Amino acid sequence: MTTPLIRGRGLGRIYGALTALADADFEVMPGEVRGLVGSNGAGKSTLVKILTGAVEPTSGTVEIMGEPVKLGDPSEMIRRGVACIYQHSNLAPAMSVMDNVFLGRQPVGRFGRIDKKKLEADTRALMAKHGMAIDPLATVGNLPTVKQKEVEILKALALEARVLLMDEPTGWLSAADVARLHQTIRTLRASGVAIVYISHMLDEIFSVCDTVTVMRDGRVIAECGIAEVRRARLVELMVGEKLARDSAAAASVARRPGGTGEIRLAVRDLSKKGVFRDISFDLHAGEILCLTGLIGSKRTELMRVIFGADRADGGSMTVAGQTVDFHSPGAAMAAGIGFVPEDRHRDGLMLGLSMTDNLIMSTIPQVCRSIFLDRSRVAATAKRLVADLAIQPPDVNKPARLFSGGNQQKILVGKWLNLGPKILILDEPTVGVDVGAKAEIYGILRAQRDAGAAILVVSSDLEEVTTVADRIAVMVSGRMVGIHDADAIDRSRLIEEIGGVA
Amino acid sequence: MIASVPALGRRLAPHALPLAMLVIIIAFAVSEPAFLKPDNLIGIVRQVAITGIMAVGMTFVIMTGGIDLSVGPVLALSGVIALFSLDAGVPLPLSIVAGLSVGLVVGLLNGFIVARLELPPIIVTLAMLSMVRGSALLIGGPDLHPIRGHEAYAAIGSGDFLGLPISVHLFAAVTVLMVLVQKLTPLGLLVAAIGENERAARLSGHRTRLTKMALYAICGVGAAIAGIVQSSQVHTASAVYGEFGTELDVIASVVLGGTSLMGGNGSIARTILGVMFLGIINNGMNILNVPIDIQLIAKGVIIAVSLALSEWRA
Repeated sequence: MTTPLIRGRGLGRIYGALTALADADFEVMPGEVRGLVGSNGAGKSTLVKILTGAVEPTSGTVEIMGEPVKLGDPSEMIRRGVACIYQHSNLAPAMSVMDNVFLGRQPVGRFGRIDKKKLEADTRALMAKHGMAIDPLATVGNLPTVKQKEVEILKALALEARVLLMDEPTGWLSAADVARLHQTIRTLRASGVAIVYISHMLDEIFSVCDTVTVMRDGRVIAECGIAEVRRARLVELMVGEKLARDSAAAASVARRPGGTGEIRLAVRDLSKKGVFRDISFDLHAGEILCLTGLIGSKRTELMRVIFGADRADGGSMTVAGQTVDFHSPGAAMAAGIGFVPEDRHRDGLMLGLSMTDNLIMSTIPQVCRSIFLDRSRVAATAKRLVADLAIQPPDVNKPARLFSGGNQQKILVGKWLNLGPKILILDEPTVGVDVGAKAEIYGILRAQRDAGAAILVVSSDLEEVTTVADRIAVMVSGRMVGIHDADAIDRSRLIEEIGGVA
Repeated sequence: MIASVPALGRRLAPHALPLAMLVIIIAFAVSEPAFLKPDNLIGIVRQVAITGIMAVGMTFVIMTGGIDLSVGPVLALSGVIALFSLDAGVPLPLSIVAGLSVGLVVGLLNGFIVARLELPPIIVTLAMLSMVRGSALLIGGPDLHPIRGHEAYAAIGSGDFLGLPISVHLFAAVTVLMVLVQKLTPLGLLVAAIGENERAARLSGHRTRLTKMALYAICGVGAAIAGIVQSSQVHTASAVYGEFGTELDVIASVVLGGTSLMGGNGSIARTILGVMFLGIINNGMNILNVPIDIQLIAKGVIIAVSLALSEWRA
């Protein structure tokens, strides 16, 4: 029997009254890709931080190739060959690939100058060894995101990493790029690197991992080979049985393509020069229309035009039969349209303001009495929304910054519910949100649909699209290429259409 | 208990400014008992009224991540315009309106360029500083214009009401009004929202550009009020009032009050603390006969140290 490359025993970490991690055993063999899954707060990131040395555990030990290591020391872990690829890039975008890969350790020639020839040769040799092909002289910032991920991996390999921790590595990648990244991972596995793959995307776990470790409430609750577990069972392990049942039940609710039949939003030949053109579709009251496509297919840009945040060059829109031309988000809101943007930190939340302030942000006139804010109405509105959305903890005065991703997303959805939207647009509503909160957000969307709202969801996550959609629209490079009843198209055909294979 | 020292520091950090004020007040009071006399204390408020009114107007602008460097010349021009109107036989209320409209127009112009054309506020208002100063000199020339025969106007800056200077009443009124706007109206919430995340505020349906224009207009009107108070207080109007450094005192007061130059959280009430802090330093050093050169250096050091202290919060 081989020794695990890395093995943690009885790892625990306590913060004051909070136990973030309790008695966790964790090991990865050479050439193994181990998935690590669990809801937000399950203890995954604490475990990862212990393995990278960023956090010192309050109990337990870690061995690398059978030798115990000093914990809580990031440089020691790097020296022992543990590297972590984070969701957000840690590269210097203005520098070349080779400079990034050997950052701070470039070979030095005469007069202390960097030996560019040797640097390039070393980089090429490293790439050849691991089956990657990137121009060593290219500027990192100009590379597509998936190539940047590869540069990060190379950088780790240049440090002779034997254990690669990958935290949500595909957060911003398109489906084709995910496949590419997985191919790279398989090559690494063949060369004996141990990989820990952390993701909310179960599709990816099943596609690339050999084994999976499930965490919940700070504990490792299951470990098994990926072939030994079914998807539904995995979700059940992650979120607990009750939530899993609710989620499964919700998914099986009959789809309602076409909704009530009433056309709530009609878009005709909408165009924006150099961005998208000739977009036409109907959105009905009481249905969820999912708009999917690759990153860069201009879905977000289309949504911004519909919401009045940007202007179109041509085409027309009607809302409930009335021709409209929104020159600002405020005008779109007056027509009953709500919009949850994709990047909740950049475009959605006021992170420093309280949850209450965020919840009332788009419906301030409703909580005013003459020219004054009515504190009691503000408090009542916040309390009602927090209860409707099941936000835990219901701490209305806490800054939005301090809530989990799932709760932040619920706050963003909630602020539009108060408007009583006739049309609700959501752009990637569950990116970085755990499985439990996802199910809850889907529940909220279905409830709005059943109450007669027209819902338009932009999503790259096919699992999400096939779960929540009544109808599915596909965009490729700024054109709308098809709209289907969700039951009438299977996943493989959908993928072909998204990829532009007509 | 070495560990408890930083902990104590963290607990005290939010109150750094009031604590520093207390220390300085005690130091001044011990070295010169006259400092604590009611007349002197009222004198301090009277001295800071002009900076204070401007700082109150500037707070919202800074909260949105902006800045207004043009307040000094606006102060000068509004005094000149008000006085010239009076001399031309325009009734007092209309002359005051004429003076205030200088601030309104300059503020709206600042706001329009910053919000609509999306140019950086520091450059826009720096250019405006130059243009308004030039306009003031064009209209008023380099001379001091004494205010003669306009008793009612002079009373604004030098009269008393209920035992307190009218300028102090005005300062208090402007402050109370703006504190109420911040605490009780949607505008107060909207200012915080724009400072936190302007894109999100716009995507929440708010007219962020119009709001920013209004905030620069408020700031300009604040400077114009200050100009009327100033000219009536010294019985002269001049195009060279509000000299270089005026805007720095105003901005320092706001920032000492805890408003970040990056935008976001801020409070009118705390700006008043910053104003009083600077006023106390000035007054105390005057009473102690500290020479002006040393005063300026000491003031700079005290501002820097206080800011460093309040940065501990993070």
